[in-house]
Amino acid sequence: MQLVVNIVVLASIYALIACGYVLIYRVSRVLNLAHGELMMLGAYGLFATASLFAGYPLAAIVAAALLALAVGGVVYWTLMHRMMGEAVLAAVLATIALGILLRGAMVLVWGAQERHPLQVLGVANASFAIGDARISSVGLTLVAATTAVYVGLYAFLRYTVWGVRMRAAGQNPLLAAQRGIRLHATYALAWGLATFTGGLAGMLIASESALDQTMVVIGLKAFPAALVGGLDSLAGALVGALIVAAAEVLLIHYVDPLLADVAPFLMLLAMLMLRPWGLFGTREQLDRV
Amino acid sequence: MNKTLRCTLIAAVAVASAGAVAQDAYVIGVSAAMTGPAAGSYAPAVEAMKAYLEHVNGRGGINGKQVKLIVLDDSAEPSKAAANATRLLTQEKVVLLLNSSLSSTYAPMVAEAKRANVPLFFAGAVCPKDTYPPADAMLFCSTAFGANFDSQAALGFVKDNAKGPVRIGFAAMAIPIARAEIDYAEGLSRTLGMTPVDKEISPPPTPDYTPFATKLKEADPNWVYSWSPWVSQVRTFEALRRLGWTGRYITWAHLNAEEELTRVKDGEFYVIGTNAFFQDEPPMAAEIRAVAVRANLKYPVTYLTEGFIAGLVIEAALRNTPWPATPAKLLAAMNNLKVDLKGLRGGPLEWTKDNHFRTKQYYRVWRWDAGKQQVVRVQDWRAIDVKR
Amino acid sequence: MPHASGYFRTGYERDLALLDTRTQKVALTVFASALLAFPWVGAPFLLDLANQVLLASIGAVALMLLTGYAGQVSLGHAGLLAAGAFTAGILFKEFGAPFWITLPAAALVGAAIGVVFGLPSLRLRGLYLAVSTLALHFIVIYAGSEYETRRGFSTGVVIQPPGLSTGFGDWVLSGARSWYFVLLAFATMTLLFSLNLLRSNTGRAWRAIQGREAAAEAMGVNVSAYKVLAFVISSTMTAVAGCLFAYYRGFVSAEAFSLFLTIQYVAMVIIGGLGSLLGAVLGAVFVTLFPYAIEWLMTVVPTPADWSNSLFALNYAAFGLVMVLFLVFEPKGLVGIWQRIRNYFLLWPFKQKPLSGPR
Repeated sequence: MQLVVNIVVLASIYALIACGYVLIYRVSRVLNLAHGELMMLGAYGLFATASLFAGYPLAAIVAAALLALAVGGVVYWTLMHRMMGEAVLAAVLATIALGILLRGAMVLVWGAQERHPLQVLGVANASFAIGDARISSVGLTLVAATTAVYVGLYAFLRYTVWGVRMRAAGQNPLLAAQRGIRLHATYALAWGLATFTGGLAGMLIASESALDQTMVVIGLKAFPAALVGGLDSLAGALVGALIVAAAEVLLIHYVDPLLADVAPFLMLLAMLMLRPWGLFGTREQLDRV
Repeated sequence: MNKTLRCTLIAAVAVASAGAVAQDAYVIGVSAAMTGPAAGSYAPAVEAMKAYLEHVNGRGGINGKQVKLIVLDDSAEPSKAAANATRLLTQEKVVLLLNSSLSSTYAPMVAEAKRANVPLFFAGAVCPKDTYPPADAMLFCSTAFGANFDSQAALGFVKDNAKGPVRIGFAAMAIPIARAEIDYAEGLSRTLGMTPVDKEISPPPTPDYTPFATKLKEADPNWVYSWSPWVSQVRTFEALRRLGWTGRYITWAHLNAEEELTRVKDGEFYVIGTNAFFQDEPPMAAEIRAVAVRANLKYPVTYLTEGFIAGLVIEAALRNTPWPATPAKLLAAMNNLKVDLKGLRGGPLEWTKDNHFRTKQYYRVWRWDAGKQQVVRVQDWRAIDVKR
Repeated sequence: MPHASGYFRTGYERDLALLDTRTQKVALTVFASALLAFPWVGAPFLLDLANQVLLASIGAVALMLLTGYAGQVSLGHAGLLAAGAFTAGILFKEFGAPFWITLPAAALVGAAIGVVFGLPSLRLRGLYLAVSTLALHFIVIYAGSEYETRRGFSTGVVIQPPGLSTGFGDWVLSGARSWYFVLLAFATMTLLFSLNLLRSNTGRAWRAIQGREAAAEAMGVNVSAYKVLAFVISSTMTAVAGCLFAYYRGFVSAEAFSLFLTIQYVAMVIIGGLGSLLGAVLGAVFVTLFPYAIEWLMTVVPTPADWSNSLFALNYAAFGLVMVLFLVFEPKGLVGIWQRIRNYFLLWPFKQKPLSGPR
């Protein structure tokens, strides 16, 4: 039972991070390798607003989430906007460079010390019993947040005008632009949403454990989940996260805890060999003669 | 062309700046992990050491000479550490080389230091076994933690305080040094009559420690010992508690331990260490606070003890080095040194020709007391002799 | 290389020559003698920097062949360097193998891993390929650190400097100056090999693949074979660089080959300018010296005292910023800047003499 809870919590972490990769890739075919850094920025955002709105945890969280949304938009308009039309590789490298820049800047502003946003907020991380298993309140929030984000994104992409525009831009930018969809605004929104969900993940992970420099690597570890499910499918990201999380937890429990580090990447490699477009992804056209 | 031009430019500047340095100063070089993932455990020590030596300079220096401390960043990257060492040794002509970084930077720095016959002093970084007796001629260490001795002291504490048979679990981070130590502790626990039940090794960046803690808890230990970087130690403990585990946990007191005990607030979470807490009000506490304020250090004062100890050691070593200082004279002074640590540790730090670690290692144990709402000491200084 | 200079080749021999004009020959001679004279002029610290640059340029040229010419993206460069270094380290520790065995062995291991890295490229391209090489990076590093831990080399595997015992006495390669010449020789060989390779069938096939795979296939290029070949050649060169790195530093450790190292190499290729060997070398120079330049700048430009503690983070941020600026404003990299400057002066009004007398 505890194993199931562990898998669900870990899968929620991975899924929440992975949906940021998927959103951006689906809309603009760019792989955002600065996602880990943006996550961390989101967590630092919470740390900053927590001291600003001391005593009002909810206000702090909302402010930090909005901040993350804005950061995503700003990143698009200042940097990625200029990389449109360049080779895909150049855009990916731009995200890597952005990541390095952000990492340096965050140390400049907040130092290399470990931080505990939850402590600043004045909230304790209690734990509850579910049957014979236990889950922490942050873990529970994480599962709830992931569910909310996925349901919200599904509804957004399915039923709202902006969601439909986003899907259209992802499917065929040229046709979408000719139908009068403002591509840049759509892309900026995608970046904003991706940073928002990533920031949320960062905040929750920082609350569950702590805020330090390793968060970037955690962001990278969630990437296999997105790829296993299919880089352009939200449902795929969810399933992929579950598979990777299950593999990791079960390996830790039954085989060797040391394998936890490479397991996601081994799965990713296996997936790339067998079905590069992932479980639920759309098969990209391969040009053949 | 571009390169040669650039190089000559740098060379010209280097020569100019070297000429500008006043030659009546003890020049010491540090290569430290000031950025990167590991910076949190090293940067506070280096900055504290720097602040202390500036404080010493303000008091008139050592033997009437100033101390010049040059800090270079290696981000815990071996190749950068090697380049830093070369630069400090050949360009700045340091009489002492310091390392405050991850163990991966040791090998290149040791090689460079030995080539130049300059003593290498590990301050804030894990002590390499080469500083234990019989010590390597060039390597010295003042860092609090020492492999093997720490586990002896910690398991000794467990043995003394256990009510009934001990079923002990182990947790460590998947870095070579921690894994080696936890393997040693596992063996040691058997000789002390305990039952080792499980050993969990978690990779350095882990989003969730619960899966590791779950397995540990299922083995049902009544004590858990962990010797690793702080993240891994405290996260494993917190995850265990959230799973409803009620046993006792003993772990190493890193720089941030005092601050963390008041955050975790758990009565059965013990930390063992060799550096006094501010809670204990060591005689030097006021001085540390004053220096920290003057140097405008951004870290809490409780993080600074390690750096001050390194500063005291450097001060004592240089005091015994007659002017003009050379690496050989300094080495002679360091081979026979006794530093009064003014209560920051259980006793003086003593180096002999044979022992570059310390002759006696003193341990205290602390925990959080929910009744008093403060950190309390549960074991006062207990010495372990460091012998070959 | 015909520039806007009005210079034309007049025979096949001229067309085959690596150096066209007398100016080029003179420039190269001056440059080469400057390089050879450098160890006697430069301070030991500068010599160490030069050695780092030389090591980096071997790796950067290897990556340039793969990414800049064959168009295959790799994020596993640090993993390959690690593979070469660990081959040397393990062979030395376990069998006491000398330099002349470990170096070819590292090359062989590099080639073998190149095949493994290359196979996914037959099915994958672009991003997916980059990701698969990234995964391989993690696996190589995992294997390396497992070896270190299992054998108890927790602070890295220490390697003795390479030496020869001849009848005339023992000779050991140590000291920055001797290393400088060894590395210079290796870098020159790598560069010459690559230059010639790119002018051959292989190089043309790679460029065709980079242009468009389908079109290349239609022209009769065996796409899969040449793709794998690109990985094999690049990996071999990288592994050799890794082996040299291990001997130069005298140790091997998994922590020395982080993901950031890969990013640095990719940055070299980008900042230097994709599709140019000169770019790879310029990029290697730039990226290697950049942190030292920033540090130096900080000592020259007066800055607030409490900045000195954050200087290191500043360095990191500046590196990212420079990379971003290059990507946005100068996608052709340093080579682009260099060519623009050269053409600017070549097209200086009334500089060129007319081909024949006044008309």
